[in-house]
Amino acid sequence: MTAVETGLLAQLALATLAVVAALVAPPGRRSLAAGSATVLLGLAGAVTGFLAMTGGTGAIRVPVALPLLPSLSPLVLAPDRLGGLFMLVAGAVAAVAALFAIGYASGPVASRTGWSAFAVFLLGMQLVPAAGDVVSFLLAWELMAVGSAILVLAEHRKHREVRSAALWYTVMTHLSFLLLLAGFAVLAAASGHTDFASIGRAGIGGGTAGLAFVLLSLGFVTKAGLVPVHVWLPRAHPAAPSHVSAVMSAAMVKMGIYGVLLVVLRLLPGGPGWWGVLLLALGALSALYGILQASVASDLKRLLAYSTTENVGLIITAVAISMLLRRTQVTAVADVALVAALLLVVSHAAFKTVLFLGAGAVQHATGERDLDRLGGLSRTMPTTSAAFGVACLGAAALPVTSGFVAEWVLLQALIHGGGRENRLVAVAMPITVAIVALTAGLALLTFVKAYGIGFLARPRSEGAAHAHEVAWPMRAAMTIGAVAVVVLGLAPGPLAVTLGRVVGAHGIESAGLLGLNLPAVGALLDPIALALLALGLAVPLTVVAVRAARRRPRRVVELPWGGGGIRVSPRMQYTATSYAEPLVRVFDDALQPTRDLEVSHEAESRYLVNRVQFRQSLSDVVEDRVYRPAIALLARVGERARSVQNGSIHRYLGFSFAALTIVLLVVTW
Amino acid sequence: MPEALFSELLAATTGLLLLSATLQVWRRSLTASIRLLAVQGVALAGLVAAIGLHDHELELLPVALLVLVLKAATMPWVLSRVSRATGATREETPRMNPTSALMVVALLTTLAYVVSQPVVAVNPGPASRAVPIGVALALIGFLVLLTRRRALSQLIGFVVLDNGIAAVAFLTAGGVPLVVELGASLDVLLIVLILRVLTSRMQLAFGDTDLDDLTELRD
Amino acid sequence: MTLLILVVQAIAMVALTPVLIGAMRQVRSRLEGRVGAGVLQPWRDVRKLLRKETLRAEGTGGILAAAPLVLMASSVLLCVLVPLVSTRTLPLVPDDLFVVVSVLLIGTVALALLGLGAGTAFGGMGSSRHMTIAALVEPTVLVAVYALSIPVGTSALSSIVQARVKDPAGLISPVSLLAIVALVLVVLAETGRLPVDNPSTHLELTMIHEAMTLESSGRDLGWLELGSWLRLTALLGLVVNLAVPWGVAIHLNAGSVLLGLVAIVLKVVAAGLLVAAGEVFTAKLRLFRVPELLAGSFVLAFLAVTASYLVA
Repeated sequence: MTAVETGLLAQLALATLAVVAALVAPPGRRSLAAGSATVLLGLAGAVTGFLAMTGGTGAIRVPVALPLLPSLSPLVLAPDRLGGLFMLVAGAVAAVAALFAIGYASGPVASRTGWSAFAVFLLGMQLVPAAGDVVSFLLAWELMAVGSAILVLAEHRKHREVRSAALWYTVMTHLSFLLLLAGFAVLAAASGHTDFASIGRAGIGGGTAGLAFVLLSLGFVTKAGLVPVHVWLPRAHPAAPSHVSAVMSAAMVKMGIYGVLLVVLRLLPGGPGWWGVLLLALGALSALYGILQASVASDLKRLLAYSTTENVGLIITAVAISMLLRRTQVTAVADVALVAALLLVVSHAAFKTVLFLGAGAVQHATGERDLDRLGGLSRTMPTTSAAFGVACLGAAALPVTSGFVAEWVLLQALIHGGGRENRLVAVAMPITVAIVALTAGLALLTFVKAYGIGFLARPRSEGAAHAHEVAWPMRAAMTIGAVAVVVLGLAPGPLAVTLGRVVGAHGIESAGLLGLNLPAVGALLDPIALALLALGLAVPLTVVAVRAARRRPRRVVELPWGGGGIRVSPRMQYTATSYAEPLVRVFDDALQPTRDLEVSHEAESRYLVNRVQFRQSLSDVVEDRVYRPAIALLARVGERARSVQNGSIHRYLGFSFAALTIVLLVVTW
Repeated sequence: MPEALFSELLAATTGLLLLSATLQVWRRSLTASIRLLAVQGVALAGLVAAIGLHDHELELLPVALLVLVLKAATMPWVLSRVSRATGATREETPRMNPTSALMVVALLTTLAYVVSQPVVAVNPGPASRAVPIGVALALIGFLVLLTRRRALSQLIGFVVLDNGIAAVAFLTAGGVPLVVELGASLDVLLIVLILRVLTSRMQLAFGDTDLDDLTELRD
Repeated sequence: MTLLILVVQAIAMVALTPVLIGAMRQVRSRLEGRVGAGVLQPWRDVRKLLRKETLRAEGTGGILAAAPLVLMASSVLLCVLVPLVSTRTLPLVPDDLFVVVSVLLIGTVALALLGLGAGTAFGGMGSSRHMTIAALVEPTVLVAVYALSIPVGTSALSSIVQARVKDPAGLISPVSLLAIVALVLVVLAETGRLPVDNPSTHLELTMIHEAMTLESSGRDLGWLELGSWLRLTALLGLVVNLAVPWGVAIHLNAGSVLLGLVAIVLKVVAAGLLVAAGEVFTAKLRLFRVPELLAGSFVLAFLAVTASYLVA
């Protein structure tokens, strides 16, 4: 029994324990009992993943898990290095979120259903990367989907939009399941096997591979949340309870990425160029659209959900660039791009967890989710504010966080990948650099807005004014995540070397003080050295400042100057909507806001205004232009088809007769 | 003429062509666009002269002179007379805002580069490597034609299109006989003069040369 | 040894900055027909501010104290990273493009958070406009330096400058000219000069940079002013070293380092005076025309990249 096998069995056992604890424990102790078991489940997943990633092997075979299908090969749970990495990511996020949930869960999400579903969800999510064949993959996938769908519905009594969000989510998730089923069916038929190793060895090519690639990648990017199949993300993530949103956003969408990597690296390696172009187009478009919508969103969770779309878009862009470069024989840079994708995966998991958990803490403490009604929280919730701030730095890719390292590696791959011989690559590189740069700039704006308006200055509503710091499990979870964001950013060398070994990349080295050296592109990054240099330069500055402060301390006055003679009302401060207003104007065509201005005048004179009402709403353009017309069309077709059923029993009997006749004819011919 | 100097001259003149076309798309002022047309004419004449000197085809030098007189002096003069006559000095509301138009210019340049690769591959050399810029110039001229409302702007776009086609002709063929160039240029001059007269008539009849208003044919 | 040169570089830039700003303001005044306050006035202003009492409004928190120091530290770090006096870098801290841009952005973010933390409408307004411009300028920065890095094969700024010193003919190629023009527009946008923002405006509704510092006083304002001016100096130094790289020290002997120091001081002052003279003849753009300007600069940078594929 190898360590990996022990780990897998431990996960199954702990999940069962968590479900039992959820069902059996008394309501007062339920969160603690089930939560602790779930934390252990996450940790077990992380440890197993780490062992598998660093080369541990092991397999668990379950003979025939489904009835009526005796000729199926046994279910295999055998994580390889790539699967190990994703299991590690999923397990770590799960552990932190479960710790948060111990303090956070209350109401319907802390019920027996809530905790059981959470344990099942986490188990499914951690077993997806471990699956070694089609059936176990799809089983784990469905477990993950069902568990998360139940959890999204948890607060449907409190908010009305939760029901529609859950509906959108379930439909999109099952759409992706059907696409995956179809894709895997094509692959299984073409190769004659259902386990991944055999499919990879079968070397399928040509049209079948193309069809399978399109089906599978469409299915996986639906789960990952790329445009145009992202419409469930901004609805489901805000509707779910915060610890569930954290896991969904930081770990579940990574399973979609894992799927894409599985297809591209293991099942159908060496595909034609148009695969890379397709993924590049989808990824770049998603990154830009996602961050644009995030920068104009005023609901904090909606902002974070769209930011997930952006990050997933960047990851897929990196993967696509790697595919394109590998075809043009620039394999060293292709390896760098692939490592960039994995670095983005890890860093996004770290900071997105903290961001969603922070948003949950804020909602728990203030009862508000709208940035326009928050503010002043840095004084009343210092730990949450600090953790959220660090995560915002990571999301905006500023030094010295893991987000910065990931973005740096991606840009190095793009800048050095341009080969003039292949015109496709030569054209794609500058456009991609421009899109990644614009995305980075908009991400900067988005997270300055999220942190600055949410946490700085004065509270804009009663809820924000009466905020208090949250309980210790929540604080501990957020702190662990924030520390991870910084530590991963300070040690990029060992991190990138490990990730490079996962995908067999060459030319990734550690150099200097845990720094990262990429000899293939001639680039070196050492964040610790940079930080030491900055600290060294800042020391004389701080000394001067501190001495000056002691000599003449700051005097507190009641009113800010604000241009002279200002009221001190906190409503005079900028809100998130006003912060993003220049951007809405610049990108008017892409966002298409609906604006409504009503001016009512005094009865006596048309020149005196009684009341002005302004309404602006920004909805998802893809949803409005693509999905609603499609749904309306389907509804119309359905209405027409309904006319076939007019209630006459003779017509129904006629249908049965016709069906019987046709079947007889077909069978005899 | 040494190869290095030839490459430098080519780069300078074609760069100037592309830059002036980009500035024409960016600026709203019609007087500035007409002045940029003159700059384009000078750059095109320089291009022809450089090719003539490099390939030792001395008949291209009179062609360069013709291009200079026609495109850098005559046509801008005619167009500025139109501008003064109709009083139109600014393009107030283009159909596409300058930011989007500039993004489209970047995309068109990329398209020109991608599309011209087979042409470059046929006869590799410094001259044919600059062919994408000529194609880009023609495409940008088309863009100006499509997105402007005033008749004068469309005239400017038409001249830019012709400049682009001439640039591609000179860069690929390495020289067009004097007779052909004379014929083509006189054709363009004739068109510009006729359109100038038409524009003045439009101004007198309808009071404005905004083409969006002139969508119904009348006797 | 390299560390010593870099420290000398930083100190020289910090000392040069108020003089540079003073010279720019003096040129502007003289061209506008005024007498001007003298070249040393900014230096006197900073000294006065650093000694004055600092006020803080209720409800504003620690960001008002921290942000000016972060800005100043990031500006000093920028002075050390950018190749000004010499093209030698510390072994573990190469002046890679993205690292330099990120350090610049730390300063930008510190200013933006300061504006929001002040708790007034003007602070938020300045912060919002400032971040919008920073977001729209980022593609130009990266694509312009990408264009400059293609002939050299690396994105380390010092290597690019070194290659340009050794290849004078490449300085007037279209790639180079277009990229430099784009970078000049970037510098004007990032440091808040005309036509993007008027640094001497007193009308709050037209402010971008000043609006964020409206609530700061005393020491905080002193650090903010010095930090912003230092950013201008460092960025001007970078652009001027990319455009006219002669004089930069490539070898590590005392003579060339001294020459490099004198050269960068002269070049930065000349560039600053040119900017100031240009500002007299330029009007500030409406805020919603600024994206057009930035899109134009992006297209120039993009054309530089495509042009570099043609001068193979």
